[in-house]
Amino acid sequence: MTLEELRDRMKAARVEIAENRLELVRRLLTDALRPIHAMDSRKHKTLEPAVTFDGRPRGDRVQ
Amino acid sequence: MSSDELSYATIRDIGARLRRRALSPVELTRALLERIERLDPRLHAFVTVTADRALADAKAAEAALGRGDISSPLLGIPVGYKDIYATRGILTTGGSALLADWIPDEDATCVTRLQRAGAVMLGKLITHEFAFGIQFPGHRFPPARNPWDLERMPGGSSSGSGAALAAGLAFGALGSDTGGSIRGPASFCGIAGLKPTYGRCSRSGVLTLSWTLDHTGPMARTVEDCAYLLQALAGHDAADPASSREPVPDYVAPLGRGVRGLRVGVVREYFFEGIDPEVEKGFEQALATLRQLGATVEDVQIPSIQSAGAYTAILLAEAFSYHEHDLREHPERFGEILRERMLAGALITASEYVQAQRLRARLQGDMNAALRRVDVLATPTSPKPAPTFETVYDPEYGFPRGNTGPFNMTGLPALAVPCGFTASGLPLSIQITGRPFDEATVLRVGHTYEQATDWRKRHPNV
Repeated sequence: MTLEELRDRMKAARVEIAENRLELVRRLLTDALRPIHAMDSRKHKTLEPAVTFDGRPRGDRVQ
Repeated sequence: MSSDELSYATIRDIGARLRRRALSPVELTRALLERIERLDPRLHAFVTVTADRALADAKAAEAALGRGDISSPLLGIPVGYKDIYATRGILTTGGSALLADWIPDEDATCVTRLQRAGAVMLGKLITHEFAFGIQFPGHRFPPARNPWDLERMPGGSSSGSGAALAAGLAFGALGSDTGGSIRGPASFCGIAGLKPTYGRCSRSGVLTLSWTLDHTGPMARTVEDCAYLLQALAGHDAADPASSREPVPDYVAPLGRGVRGLRVGVVREYFFEGIDPEVEKGFEQALATLRQLGATVEDVQIPSIQSAGAYTAILLAEAFSYHEHDLREHPERFGEILRERMLAGALITASEYVQAQRLRARLQGDMNAALRRVDVLATPTSPKPAPTFETVYDPEYGFPRGNTGPFNMTGLPALAVPCGFTASGLPLSIQITGRPFDEATVLRVGHTYEQATDWRKRHPNV
C-alpha cells in the first residue's frame, strides 16, 4: 500500500491520522492485507459468513 | 515456610495447607496485601487493590473451612482480575481514560465463577489500554513492569496479571487473549497461561476488543494451577453468544498420565521466522525433553499458515467497529498508539474483511487436518524474549507479528509453559496447542513437561 492509497482510504473513511504516524499505519496495513491481496478468491469455496446446521442437538454455538 | 516461599507456593500446595488448617486464609491474604504494598509501587501490576474486599473474602473462606467445607480447591486462594473484567462496585478502567471512573453494577461471569469457588479478590490488574494500546510515558495508567527486569515489558495486554504472578503477588489471575494477551505475558514473565477453546470460557462482562478473536482464560505459576482455575471457569453461559454447551471434563485428574505415546507436531514454517537463537535453542531442548518423556515428535505442515497474518485485518476492523462512536466523538480520550491502531481498522474495506474471514476458514481446516495426525502442536510462544520499554517506545517498533495470533484465528486451545531462560535471565516459553475443547490433553502435555524441569522453581529477584 502506498501513502497515497492510504490517504485515499482515510478520506473515504472520514478519519484523520497524524502525518508523522502515516508510515507506521501504512506498514501495519500492508502486513495485515498481504495474505488477503495474495489470495485467489475464485479458488476458495465460499461459505463464510453463513449460518450452518448439522444433526446435533440444538445449543452448541448456534442458539 | 518463609515469606517468599509462601508467596511463590502453588494453588495446590496452599490449598492443601488451608484445608488442613495449617494456614489461615486471613493470614495468607494479609501477607499478600503487605507484599503488594511493598513491591507494587515499582511493578505497577495493580490498578486497584481491594484490601477490604480481600479480607472479607478471606474471612468468609475461613468460616467455610471452619465448617468443614473442603469442596473447592480455590477456597481461600487470593487472585487478581485483569481490569477489563467487570467487578460489581469496584472500579473497572480497561486501562482507558474513557472508563477511568466506571464502577460496574455486575461482575463478569468469570469473576462470579471464581468468587463462587471461594477465591479471594485481591484487586484489579493493569491492562494495556482496551487490551490493545501500549501505555506510553505520561499515560493515565502507568504500564506494569517485568519482574525479571524492570526495564522490560511484561508483555500484554494482560500485563498486570503476568507481572503479579511472576512477583508472587497473587496465586492466580484472569487474563484475556485476542492475539496472545494471555500467552505473551506468560511467556515474558515465566509463568503458565492458557487460552482455552473459543466458547469454552465466558466473555460476558469483559470489555470487547474483537469479538471473533476474544478469549478469556486463566494464568498461574504452574500448569496444574491453570487447570484448577479452568475447572471453575469453564462451562456454558447464556450471556455470551459464543459460549459452548460442550460438556466440561475433569481437567486436573488426567494431568498425571504422562505423554508416553502422544504425538507432538512441530510447525517449522511461519513460527520460526525472525526467531531469537536462544528462543530456538530453548524450544528444541523442550522438544528433546518431551521425546525423553515418551512423546513422538514430528514435523507437520499447515499449508495455509502464511495466511495467518490476515488475523490483524480482522482484529483491526472489529476493534474499530466496536469503538467507532467513541473514536469519532472523543478521539482525544484514546492513547495515541491505540487511536492509530483502531483508526487503521476503518481503512480496511468490506471485501478485505470478508476475504480475511475466508482465509481464516481455510486455516482452520488445515490446522484441524494437522491435528488429526498429531495430538498437539508445539511452537515457540514468542519469537523473542521480553523487549525493553525503550525498544517498544521507538516509533519504528510498529506492531510485531507474533506466534500466538494464528490460534486466535482458529479458536484452538493454546497453552504457554516456561521452557528456560536466556543467558541474561529472561524467561523462554513453549506453546502447546490442541484440538477444539481438548484442553485436557494440552494441559497434560504442559504439566508433564513442566514437572520434568525446574524452570517453575526460579523466581525473579524483586
